[in-house]
Amino acid sequence: MARVALFVPCYMAALRPDDGGHARRVLERLGDEVQTIVGPCCGQPAFNSGYRSEAKSVGRALLRAARGHETIVIPSGSCASMVKHYLPGLWAGPRGASIERMSECFVEFGAYVAAHPNVAALPLRLSGAVTYHDSCHGRRELGLTEGAVGLLEQVEGLDVRRLAYEDECCGFGGTFTVKEPEVSVAMARAKLEDVASRGVRVLVSGDLSCLAHLEATARATDQSLETWTLAELLDRALA
Amino acid sequence: MSPFRARARAEIEAGPPAATLSPILRKLVADSRDQLTTASPSDARARAQAARSYAVDHLDELQEQLRESCARQDIGYHRAATAEEAVALVTQLLGDARRVAKSKSMVAEEVGLTHALRVRGKEVLETDIGEYIVDIEGRGPSHITAPALHLNRARIRDLLAGAGADVPDDDPVRLSRAVRDVVAEFFGEVDAGITGANAVVANSGRIVIVENEGNVSLGVSRPRLHIAITGMEKVVADEEAALAVLQVLAPSATAQPLTAYTHFLGAPEDGKERHLVVVDNGRSEILADERYRDVLRCIRCGACMNACPVYTAAGGLSYGSPYMGPIGAVVSPLLWRDGRHADLPSASSLCGRCTEVCPVGIPLHRMLLDLRAGEAENGGSRVEKAAWKSWAAAFAGRQGRAASWLARLGLRAGGRLPGLPVGGARPIPAASPSRDPAMLVPLDSIELELAPEPEPLAEDVVAAFRERASVVGAVVADEAEPEEGDRRVRATAAVASTGGVLLTGEAAARGALMDARRIVVDVEEASVVRFPQELGPALAGDGDALILTGASRTADIEKRIVRGIHGPEALVVVVGSGTTGT
Repeated sequence: MARVALFVPCYMAALRPDDGGHARRVLERLGDEVQTIVGPCCGQPAFNSGYRSEAKSVGRALLRAARGHETIVIPSGSCASMVKHYLPGLWAGPRGASIERMSECFVEFGAYVAAHPNVAALPLRLSGAVTYHDSCHGRRELGLTEGAVGLLEQVEGLDVRRLAYEDECCGFGGTFTVKEPEVSVAMARAKLEDVASRGVRVLVSGDLSCLAHLEATARATDQSLETWTLAELLDRALA
Repeated sequence: MSPFRARARAEIEAGPPAATLSPILRKLVADSRDQLTTASPSDARARAQAARSYAVDHLDELQEQLRESCARQDIGYHRAATAEEAVALVTQLLGDARRVAKSKSMVAEEVGLTHALRVRGKEVLETDIGEYIVDIEGRGPSHITAPALHLNRARIRDLLAGAGADVPDDDPVRLSRAVRDVVAEFFGEVDAGITGANAVVANSGRIVIVENEGNVSLGVSRPRLHIAITGMEKVVADEEAALAVLQVLAPSATAQPLTAYTHFLGAPEDGKERHLVVVDNGRSEILADERYRDVLRCIRCGACMNACPVYTAAGGLSYGSPYMGPIGAVVSPLLWRDGRHADLPSASSLCGRCTEVCPVGIPLHRMLLDLRAGEAENGGSRVEKAAWKSWAAAFAGRQGRAASWLARLGLRAGGRLPGLPVGGARPIPAASPSRDPAMLVPLDSIELELAPEPEPLAEDVVAAFRERASVVGAVVADEAEPEEGDRRVRATAAVASTGGVLLTGEAAARGALMDARRIVVDVEEASVVRFPQELGPALAGDGDALILTGASRTADIEKRIVRGIHGPEALVVVVGSGTTGT
């Protein structure tokens, strides 16, 4: 039995804390002992806006909370990419190197589950059809796509319909949606058209941030859509 | 509201740019990927990146070598430190030349050359079909390789009709030929040609220019004077490096293997003049900055904007700069240091697709992050700075549990949008969403369209050459009966992956080629190489050379291919072993 920390990122804790619970239950079904870290922020919003010292002080609080854990599972490709690829660069010299080593303890939820020794034994069953969307950071900076899709395909009875343009961004981009809302929503609508063209109404993603953006846009345009995190789907498939 | 946002909002309200751009660019991105994976060597991108990195790392040295090579070639070599100097230099070089045929050049856009020359009394015609159209429209190009991409055929017809063309319908063939006729007539009496350059070769002094329509072929051969204007970073060490760049340029830009014409221009013909104007205009400053110097590798292919979802949604004109899309968001604030483009680095969701497709490995989205950090340090709004400070204070504590106001703010801010139901904010998703089992039931069983697998290149180079040459529009034959108006030449080499032929020396003389009714090229089977990168030995020396890849064409109107623009409409390739042809 592995001991892991589950880091429930700030926006998940605020927007849809249930998804933290889904992730926790899946890890427990894999036989892990789970401790949760709820609510810190990886610093990405400030970092992506160019405010690096603010990002650094916020990231430091997360690292402090994670200290002592060998494995920290993050149900977000975007936060995981921030911690692994950008956070260490905010410190120079040996401090940066030690944070770099620490960042290696962080692992994205889908990647962790897909590589877990007990994953093949999970009794995953859910009938229905869904499609899958990656966060861009998860896809391009962490290479999560095939792992996540592999998990979905492991679910008995599930018809996984890949998007036609699955490598296109949904338009969220954190502060991008605040600074450029018109373009951001135009991008979301393009993504939603792709979803609708698959003939499905449930969209699964490793990243709640993309899902919240797409769900909000879908509601505003009266498109019938449910957005599930990968953790929720796996948890429901285990029920 | 940032200038980018204001422009993008207006563009989206006026009719979403994505309606025109999205289908075109999605196809282009897929075709480019196929072109680079099946019709190029597996290390094509690595080679191109190495060639461009070397150039950026040895820029001063290569420019010095280029200066000497140009002297040997009798090509005038001139340096311009600023946009103003570039304009003054070109004006001076033009002397009393009055009618000027200009082809596409991004640096010319950057320094405002066409406008400046017109103000000085020159009659300048944009001879590229897309440039001609956007010149009439007056809003500037919206894409670096497809300037009129934002315009659909109906709008183009209106513009051309307004300029006096006889265009009874909006058939792209008719529209393209209407512009072709205007341009061809202008070339009847022309004093100077101004072109850009896709590369300049330090060790030979050759100027490399790619084009599809034939307007460059005319521009560098008809007038007495040819001036090429280019950014100082466009230098490459040698022909091998130029070929490495060419091998990814057209595949990335237009999903072609090579453009119809690839020029290697050497010494001017007797009685003619050729000049090269090398523009700095802020590039030295970029070169000196470790964070951004690699952006000078850029070969201006436009792959980053083709792949960019922000570009697709907002359209190229929203950037308000001659350089748009991800590369524009990076270089515009670096070239114009007066802050006019300071908002462009924020015009990105940082999805990283630009970095992924860049054929010379520029980490564009990481540069955008650095530019944002620079802007936050040196400029930035006081309100935003204060907001981030209070945010950091809320999250940096031991129990960083402040409400995620940012996410909420984001979803609320997205509320008041064009095309969305009136009534304010988009709803925030519920903390415990209810789930309806019926939602898992598919609406229909859809047949997924599977894109056809691209054909791999045949193993046998001669067979592959025959096949590819006909794909790019050449007529492949074992023999050709002479016809009146033929220009028959012997190829120095041919390329299997592109279906192109290399002409050197007298065979490359553009005047005779452009005047012919039909070009007939004899190709020796033994001279066929697999990829462009193997043409190095055939390009030895510093004479004129030309790679012909199919007949002239354009795709400037909705990316529809129209063949036969300037020059002969037919290219016949006669493949033989031993002593074929004349």
